[in-house]
Amino acid sequence: MKSIIIVKLDDVIDCSTVDVLFLIIDLNLQESKMHDSSQLKKEFIKKWVQGLQICCSSKRQMSILERKRNIKLSADIALASAKNATTSWSKALISEAKKDREKNILVDNLLGHESKFMGAHQKVTSHNRIRSKKILRRSCGIGKRIKKMGYRRSDSPTCIAKRLVKKRTQVLKRLVPGGESMDEFSIITEALDYILSLRVQVDVMKNIVNATNLLN
Amino acid sequence: MSTRRSRQSSTGASRITDDQIIQLLSKLQQLLPELTNRRTNKASASKVLQETCNYVRSLHREVDDLSDRLSQLLSTIDAGSPEASIVRSLIM
Repeated sequence: MKSIIIVKLDDVIDCSTVDVLFLIIDLNLQESKMHDSSQLKKEFIKKWVQGLQICCSSKRQMSILERKRNIKLSADIALASAKNATTSWSKALISEAKKDREKNILVDNLLGHESKFMGAHQKVTSHNRIRSKKILRRSCGIGKRIKKMGYRRSDSPTCIAKRLVKKRTQVLKRLVPGGESMDEFSIITEALDYILSLRVQVDVMKNIVNATNLLN
Repeated sequence: MSTRRSRQSSTGASRITDDQIIQLLSKLQQLLPELTNRRTNKASASKVLQETCNYVRSLHREVDDLSDRLSQLLSTIDAGSPEASIVRSLIM
């Protein structure tokens, strides 16, 4: 597999950047079993390489940490943007990046005109208001319940199972971007898609790291 | 008003989509590397969710690690070599 990469790259020194990209994508596709992800891979590679050219091509010397942050940010933004606002996590990822002052400029450069549609600041704040009201109401209700029921409820195995599921769901909500404001059904569908997309990201990054390693 | 709407949708959703949630969890289970080796019906919901969290965390770590390696590789490329010009036109 490695030798094939070297030969093919030598053959295409004269070709454009995009041609070499699609060559790497073809090598990726041959390995991937899931056909749904091929479209996502193409979009991600295209956008990520564009992003890297924007943020890594500055003439001044970047520290390794700074370069790494740029690489990671452009990869995450490229992945989210390749979803084309079809999932909640991708929209949340982009709007979270835009909130950070340092990242905001880079995100605007990476996304260009797209970033205007992705800003979801207002939606998030109204979610927070609704959430805090719900939390207040829930905490009042729980206080009353504890006084009435005592410790009998916690003995039932189904209650323990439910509590475990609730606990794990809360953890998952923190891991998936934008998960805090999702209900049980959405968090599972979003997590499914998020995992598939993360796998695409890891696959592509691995291949590019290996290719760069071989060239060194 | 929003609470009335959300209460309705939550009770409506729990009546209609319990089966869908179970289906989704089994789909999730098929993605997880830890749980696909066993027979599909064995894992409980909390186990599936726990493995999902672990898998997402490990994927995050892989992305972080790969970004690290790529940034180190890009910073150590010899400026004048022909290979560097390929990588530079590709990525930088």
